[in-house]
Amino acid sequence: MSVFHLPDLGEGLAEAEIHEWYVKEGDTVTVDQPLVSMETAKAVVDVPAPHAGKIVKLYGKKGDIIQTHAPLIEFEGSASVQKDKGTVVGNLEESSAVLDEGDMIIGAAKKTANTVKAMPAVRALAKQLNVDLTAVTPSGPQGQITVDDVKKLAGQHAPKLGNVEALHGVRRFMAIAMQKSHQEVVPVTIIDDAVENPASQEKDFTVCMLQALVAAIHAEPALNAWYDGKNMERCIHQEVNIGLAMDTPEGLFVPVLKNVEKKTPTELRTEIDALKKSVRARTVAPSELQGATITLSNFGTIAGRYSNPIIVPPTVAILGCGKVREEVVAREGKMEIRKVAPLSLTFDHRAVTGGEATRFLAAIIKYLEEA
Amino acid sequence: MAEITLVEAITQALAYEMKVDPNVIVLGEDIAKNGGVFRATVGLLDKFGPERVRDTPLAESMIGGLAIGMAIAGLKPVAEFQFMGFIYPALDQIINHAARIRNRTRGRMSCPAVFRAPYGCGIRAPEHHSESTEALFAHIPGLRVVMPSSPARAYGLLLASIRDPDPVVFLEPSRLYRWAKQEVRDDGKALPLDVCFTLRVGTDVTLVTWGSLVKETLAAAEMLAKEGISAEVIDVATIKPLDIETILASVEKTGRCVIVHEGARTGGVGADISAQLAERGLMFLKAPVQRVTGYDTIVPYARLEKFYLPSEKHIISAVQQIMEFA
Amino acid sequence: MKIVAQFEIPYFQFLNEDSQVVGDLPNFAKDPANLLRLYRLMVLSRVLDAKAIALQRTGKMGTYPSTRGQEAVFIGMGDAMLPDDIFVPYYREIPTLMQRGVKASDLLLYWGGDERGNYFADPKKNLPFAVPIGSQALHAVGIATALKIRHQKNAVIAVCGDGATSQGDFYEAMNVAGVWKLPVVFVVSNNQWAISVPRSAQTAAKTIAQKAIAAGFSGEQVDGNDVIAVRERIAQAAEKARSQQEPTLVEVLCYRQSDHTTADDASRYEQKGIREEEWKKEPIARLRRYLESIKAWSPEQEEALQTECTNEVVKIVAEYEGVVPDEPTAMFDHLYATLPDIYADQYEMLKNIGGTNG
Repeated sequence: MSVFHLPDLGEGLAEAEIHEWYVKEGDTVTVDQPLVSMETAKAVVDVPAPHAGKIVKLYGKKGDIIQTHAPLIEFEGSASVQKDKGTVVGNLEESSAVLDEGDMIIGAAKKTANTVKAMPAVRALAKQLNVDLTAVTPSGPQGQITVDDVKKLAGQHAPKLGNVEALHGVRRFMAIAMQKSHQEVVPVTIIDDAVENPASQEKDFTVCMLQALVAAIHAEPALNAWYDGKNMERCIHQEVNIGLAMDTPEGLFVPVLKNVEKKTPTELRTEIDALKKSVRARTVAPSELQGATITLSNFGTIAGRYSNPIIVPPTVAILGCGKVREEVVAREGKMEIRKVAPLSLTFDHRAVTGGEATRFLAAIIKYLEEA
Repeated sequence: MAEITLVEAITQALAYEMKVDPNVIVLGEDIAKNGGVFRATVGLLDKFGPERVRDTPLAESMIGGLAIGMAIAGLKPVAEFQFMGFIYPALDQIINHAARIRNRTRGRMSCPAVFRAPYGCGIRAPEHHSESTEALFAHIPGLRVVMPSSPARAYGLLLASIRDPDPVVFLEPSRLYRWAKQEVRDDGKALPLDVCFTLRVGTDVTLVTWGSLVKETLAAAEMLAKEGISAEVIDVATIKPLDIETILASVEKTGRCVIVHEGARTGGVGADISAQLAERGLMFLKAPVQRVTGYDTIVPYARLEKFYLPSEKHIISAVQQIMEFA
Repeated sequence: MKIVAQFEIPYFQFLNEDSQVVGDLPNFAKDPANLLRLYRLMVLSRVLDAKAIALQRTGKMGTYPSTRGQEAVFIGMGDAMLPDDIFVPYYREIPTLMQRGVKASDLLLYWGGDERGNYFADPKKNLPFAVPIGSQALHAVGIATALKIRHQKNAVIAVCGDGATSQGDFYEAMNVAGVWKLPVVFVVSNNQWAISVPRSAQTAAKTIAQKAIAAGFSGEQVDGNDVIAVRERIAQAAEKARSQQEPTLVEVLCYRQSDHTTADDASRYEQKGIREEEWKKEPIARLRRYLESIKAWSPEQEEALQTECTNEVVKIVAEYEGVVPDEPTAMFDHLYATLPDIYADQYEMLKNIGGTNG
C-alpha cells in the first residue's frame, strides 16, 4: 500500500483544488495515466500516475482544496514501495525454512557406555598387538590403561612357548647384521654345480674353495669390493680377505682370512684351524672378525644343497657351498657318477652386474672342476 | 504463536525485558527511529519512548563508555555497535573498564551492561563489516562472550545476558539474522549462560561450533549420517566462560573432535578448546583434534568472500580424515 | 568580568538558490571556461551515480553510497586541490577521486567487492576509502606531519561527514592539527544525515565549523550547493595550509538526496517533503541556470552533454564488468611483504579446494 502525495505543481505552490477526477476507487491504472486535474492559482494541471497500480482511496472530491505534499491517492500493491531490506550494507539471505531442532540438550548428552581411558600411544600399541582394550584391566593412576597393561594381556593370550629372552652378543649382532643387509642390499642369487674332476686327488675342500675364490676374483674383481649405498661409492679391493662362516654353540661367527691371495694351501689350512680353535675358545680377536672383502659359507658340511646366502655389508658377494654329493651326470651321452658341489652365489646388484657375477661363478666352477 | 527470525527474536527479547525491567536502556547508532540498521530494535522507540531508546551521536568509544557509566549507576544498558568491525574504538572502555570495575572495587561497583554487535561474513557487505574476532574478547578476564545461533537461543541467551550482573559481549550472526524462522515463545524464559548446548546426539565424532557456522555444521552432520558416520553437534553458545565439561563428556564418548569457527585460525577460540582437550581428554582421543576455520587472512571483500568461509564440505572432509586414524 | 575569547563563523556563498551572484565572484569564476569544466564534471558524476545505483539494483555491484545532490561538494573540492596535495576521503567521494586521476571503474570495483579497486594507479596522493567513521582524520594529520617534516609545501585535504564529527578520532585529529600547526584542511561534508540520525541529534553546537575554534584554528560554513563557493573556499584553505602551515575547518552544507546507501531506506526516518524542498537548492540546476543567464550554455549543449556523459558511463561500466575475478589465493598475496612459511599449507588448501568453498 502506498500513498501518493500531491506534488508541488509549480514553483512552490502551497495548495491546489481538485478540478476533476479521471479515475475512481477500484480502478487499475498504468504509469503516467492522468488521474486528476488540479486547479492551481496559475493553471489547471493534469496529475499523472507515478506508477501502475490499483486505486484504493481518493483523498477528496471535486472542489476540495489539497495542500501540496498532502495525501492525494492511495494505491494498493504498489511497486514503488521499497521493501525494507532490513540492512544498511550487503544483503541478508532469507529463506522460508522453519528451524526444527528437535530436542536441544542443555549441557552434554547422557553417557551411554563407559569408555576406556588410554593414551593415544597405548591405543596404537593395543592395535598393533591385536589387544581388545575393553578386556584390559587398567592400572594407571587416573584409571587409564598403561603400556604394561596391554602387554600383559597380549602375553596372556600368546601360546606358552617358553621364556622370552632378549638377544645378546653374537646372536644380537647377527640379528642386527641380517636386518641391515635386508634393508640395504639388493641380492640376486645364482645357482650352479661344480662337477669334480675324477682324476683329482684328495684335497682340502675348504682351501680349494678359497683358492677358487681368488681365481674368480682375478677374473671379476668387482665382486671383491665394498659398496657404500648412502654415498653411492664402491671400493674394489686388491687384497682378498675372505670371511669364513663358522657355526658355534653361541651362534654364527665369521672370522676373516687375510690376504688369501698371498698364502699357500698349507698356510691357509693352518690359519683356518687356528681361527676355528680361537672362535670355539671365544678368544678370537675383534680384528680377526673384521675386514672381509668377500664371504664363504660352507653350510654343506652340515646339510643343505642350494641357498640364497645373505650378503654382509659392505661386501657385495657371498658364495655358499652345499653338501658335496655323488650324482649321476651326463657326459658325452653317457651316464657317469661324479661328486657334485652345489654352489650358490649371492651378489649385491647395486654394485655388481649379472655379467660380472655369472663370469665370476663360471671362474669358480672352472677352478673347482680343473683342480 | 508466530515463527520468528533470529533478529526478530532479539527484538522480542529486548521488548520483553524492557517491559518487565524499567532499568533496561537501549542505545546505539540509528537504533531508535530507524529501528537499527538490521531492524533489531524496531518498534522499541514507539513502545518505550526516547528516554529509554536512544540514538547516540556517531562515536563508538562514547557508546561503550556511556553504557559503562549507566551500568555503574544502576541501569541495565544494552548498547549496540552497528557492526563488530566498529566495536574496536570501544575496546579501551570494554577491556579497561567494563571487564574490571567489579574486581578493582572489590564488588562495590559492577557493570551489568550488554554490548551487542552483529558479526561475521557472508552478507556481501563492504569491508570492515564482516569481522569474527570473538577471540579478542574471549581472552579478557572479567567478560562474558555469548553468541547465539538460532532464534530460540538468541531470545533465551539475550534475556540471560541482560539479567546477568556482569558485562556481556553479545555477538549476533548477521548471516543468520533472517535465515529460517522458529517458534519462540515470548515467555521471558532465559537460557542458562556458561553452558554448551548439544543440538544433535551422535557416537562417532563431536563437532564443536558456535554462531553462524552451527548452520553448516548441522547440515554436515546430516550428510555424514548418510555415510554412516554419527556426529554429535555441540553449540558452545557461551564462548567465555567455556563449558569444557560438556565437550569433554562428548569426546569421551566419541573419541574424535572437529572444532568449526569462522574467525581466523591462529589464536582462534578453537585453539583454546583444542588445548583443553589435549590436557584433559587425551585419554579418549582416537585421532588428533581438528579445526576447520577461516583462513589467517583479512576477511576478503565480497567477490572472494565465498572462498573464506568454511563450508559443509570442509567440515565433512575434516571428519573423514580422522575417522580411520587409530 | 571580562570576555577572554569570542568566535565568529563566516558563511560563504557566491551563487544563491536563484542562481544569482551575491557579493564578488572569485576570479576563477569570472572565466566561464572554468565554470563549464565544473559543470561538466558534476553532470558526469550524477549520470555515473544513477548508473551505479542501477548496477547495485541489478546485482552487479554491492552496497553503494550515492552522491546525488552533493556533486558540488565533491567536484568543487577536487578542483581546489593541487595534484601533489594529498586527499584523504571518507567513502562518498567517487567524483573527487575521478578528478584526481583514479579510474572510475576501479572505484566501482571497490564497491563491487574487489580489493584491487583500492590499488589506484597513482599510489600515494589519494588514500583509499575509510569505512571506520572518522578514523581517516588521524591518518590525515599523520601525513600532514610528514609533509611538514619534509618541508613539502602541500596540503592534506581530509574529508568526513557530519556524523564523523562526533567521533573521538575527529576531535583528536583537529586538536593535534591545531597545536602542531599542520597543513590540513578538514572538510566536513554536512549532508544533514548520519544514516538515520539528523544533524540536530549529532551535536548541540550551532555549527560544526566552530569545533575548529576549540582546536585553536578557524572554521567556516560554505553553501555546499554552490560549486563556486566550495571550490573557492577550499582552495583558499589549501593555500593557507601550504603557505602558512595553518589548518582550517570548512563545513560544507548540502543535502543527502538519497538513502545513506543502496541498502538503506530513508523513508523510514526522513520526513516527507524535505528532500523535494532541498532539491530546489540542488547544485547542477543552479549552475546551469547561471550559465544560461550569461549565455554560456544552451539546451542543445545540455542535450549533447547528457549524451556524452551517458556514453562515457557506458565505457566505464564496460571496463568494470570486464574485470576478471581475482584468484582466491589473493587473500594471502598481500598479507605480508613475504608470506611467512607457516601459512604455506593454508595457501595450498585455498589453492586446491578454495574453489569448492561455498
